[in-house]
Amino acid sequence: MSETEEVERSSDDGDGDDRLTYREWAAALREGTLLGQECSKCGHVTAAPKAACAQCGDREISTTKLDTEGEVHSVTTIAVPPERFEGDYQVALVDLGAGRVLARIDGGRETVEIGDRVQFTNAMEADGHPAPVFEPTEG
Amino acid sequence: MPRASVIGVGMTPFGVHEATLPELFAEAAFPAFDDAGISAGEIDALYFGNAMGGQTENDTHLAPTLTSHVGLAGVPAQRFEDACATSSNAFKHAVEAVEAGLHDTVLVGGVERCTPETGLGTGAMTRIFASASHRQYEQPSGLTFPGVFALLTKRHMYEHGTTDEQLAHVAVKNHANGTLNPRAHFGRDVTTDDVLDSPTVADPFHLFDCCPFSDGAAAAIVTSADTGASFDGDGVAVTGIGHATDVVPLADKTHPSTTQAARDAAAEAYEQADTDGTVMDLAEVHDCFTGAEVMASEALGLVETGDGGPAAAEGRTSLEGEIPINPSGGLKAKGHPIGATGVAQIVELTEHLRGEANDRQVDDATKGVAHNLGGDAATTVVTVMEAGT
Ligand SMILES: [Zn+2]
Repeated sequence: MSETEEVERSSDDGDGDDRLTYREWAAALREGTLLGQECSKCGHVTAAPKAACAQCGDREISTTKLDTEGEVHSVTTIAVPPERFEGDYQVALVDLGAGRVLARIDGGRETVEIGDRVQFTNAMEADGHPAPVFEPTEG
Repeated sequence: MPRASVIGVGMTPFGVHEATLPELFAEAAFPAFDDAGISAGEIDALYFGNAMGGQTENDTHLAPTLTSHVGLAGVPAQRFEDACATSSNAFKHAVEAVEAGLHDTVLVGGVERCTPETGLGTGAMTRIFASASHRQYEQPSGLTFPGVFALLTKRHMYEHGTTDEQLAHVAVKNHANGTLNPRAHFGRDVTTDDVLDSPTVADPFHLFDCCPFSDGAAAAIVTSADTGASFDGDGVAVTGIGHATDVVPLADKTHPSTTQAARDAAAEAYEQADTDGTVMDLAEVHDCFTGAEVMASEALGLVETGDGGPAAAEGRTSLEGEIPINPSGGLKAKGHPIGATGVAQIVELTEHLRGEANDRQVDDATKGVAHNLGGDAATTVVTVMEAGT
C-alpha cells in the first residue's frame, strides 16, 4: 500500500495532473505491484495506463491497484520468438476482475489453458522494459 | 454512386526480389500506367505505402524517391504507415482526393521487402514485425505477430468451437488458389496433414498457417468517377471504403475475437455502397494467419459469426464455393510484402471485376470486397468495388 501512495505522490508534478505515467507503472511492477487506471466516468479499468479513458475519452482517471488473481482469457505458446527472447514460452491475456492484462506465464509450453486461474508473481525484464508474470493458482 | 474509378493496375510477382525498393515499385507502377493508357505527365500525385523500410533497409522519405524514380518528380507525394494496412490507407486517401476534386488522376501503390534479401533473418524480422504491437505493454512479454493472432484465434476456437483442422482448410484452399496465380509466392498445393504436421510457430498456428515474408510491389491508377470513362483502361468503380480503429493494446479491446474494427469498417463501406456482405461475389481478406481469415469472413458478413471455420472446411469459401475468399491465394499463398498488400488486393478485385483473372476468375463477378488490417487488427480498411457500368 505504501508503494502505491509513494507512486501517486511522485507522479504529482505540480500542475495538478496526477495521472499514472508509464515510468511509475513500470517501477511499481518491478516492486511487485500491478497498477492500473479506473475511469471515473464510465468505470473502464485498464492495465495499460493512458492519458485518457480508451472507452469514453474522459480525462478523469484514477490510479488503482489491480487484482492479483484472475482467469486466462486466451493464451498461446510462442515457439518462434523475436530476437533477444528464448522460446518456448506462454503469453496470455488474463482477466483481472474489470481489467485485463497481457502477461507472460511462468513455465514452458502448455502450462495453462483458457479458463485456468492464475496469479501475479513478479516482473520479467526485456530490453529495459518490465512485463507482468503470472503462474497457475494452486488448488 | 461510385466514389472513384480504378483505371489501371499492376503488380510484381510476390516472392524473393533482389531489386531495390524503387526498382520494385517501378515494376508495378509502369504496368499500371500502361494498363490505364496514361503517361506520367497525366498523374497529379502519389499516395504511397511502405511500412518498415526505415527498420528493414534504413530507407525513409521514400515518396519523393519513388516519384523521381518513375518520372513523376515534382508531384505531391505522401507516404502512409499503418502496419499491414499501410497501402489500403494510401488507397483510401487517393480515392478521397479525386472524389473531392483535389486531383484528377493519381497513382497509389505500395512496396516492401521482408525476405532475407534485406539482410535480416527470421529473428530480426520477427522483432521488427512485433514493433507494431504496444512498445510498453506488449513487446516486453515476448509477444510476436503470430502470437497476437494466435491469442485472437484461440479465443475464437474457445467461443465458437473452431478447430485446428478447419484452420488448416483455409491454408489448403489458399494454396490451391495460389497455384492458379502466376504472381503467387507459393505455387504449390498443401494438404491438411502438411499443415497440421508442420512445426508450431505460436499455437494453434503451424508454419503453414502463417503467411510468408515476401518482397513485392503493387500499384493502381485512381481517377474520379466522372473522368474514368475517358481513359483506355477498363474502369472499375470504388463504391465504398470504410476505415476504423480499435483500442490498443489487445488486452483493452472489449471483445478481442470480434475484431470490432473490421465490423465497423465493413458497415461503413457497405453503407456507402448500399450493399452488404451477403451479395458479394468474391472477397480478398487479410489472411496473415489462417485464423485471421476465419474472423474476417465473419466480420465482413460473408458468413455468420462462428461459421467461418466450418465454411472453409466445407468448401463454401473456395473458388467454386458460394463466396470465394482469396482467389489470389491471399497473403498465405500469394505472399505478404507488408506495404504492398492492401493495393495488391485492389489489383485482384479489379482483375476479377473486369473478367481478366484467367484461371482463377470468379464467374460473373460484379461486386467484390477487400479487407486489409494492420497491427492487432486495430486498424482495418474495407473497400467495396463494382464492375464498371
Ligand atoms: Zn471512461
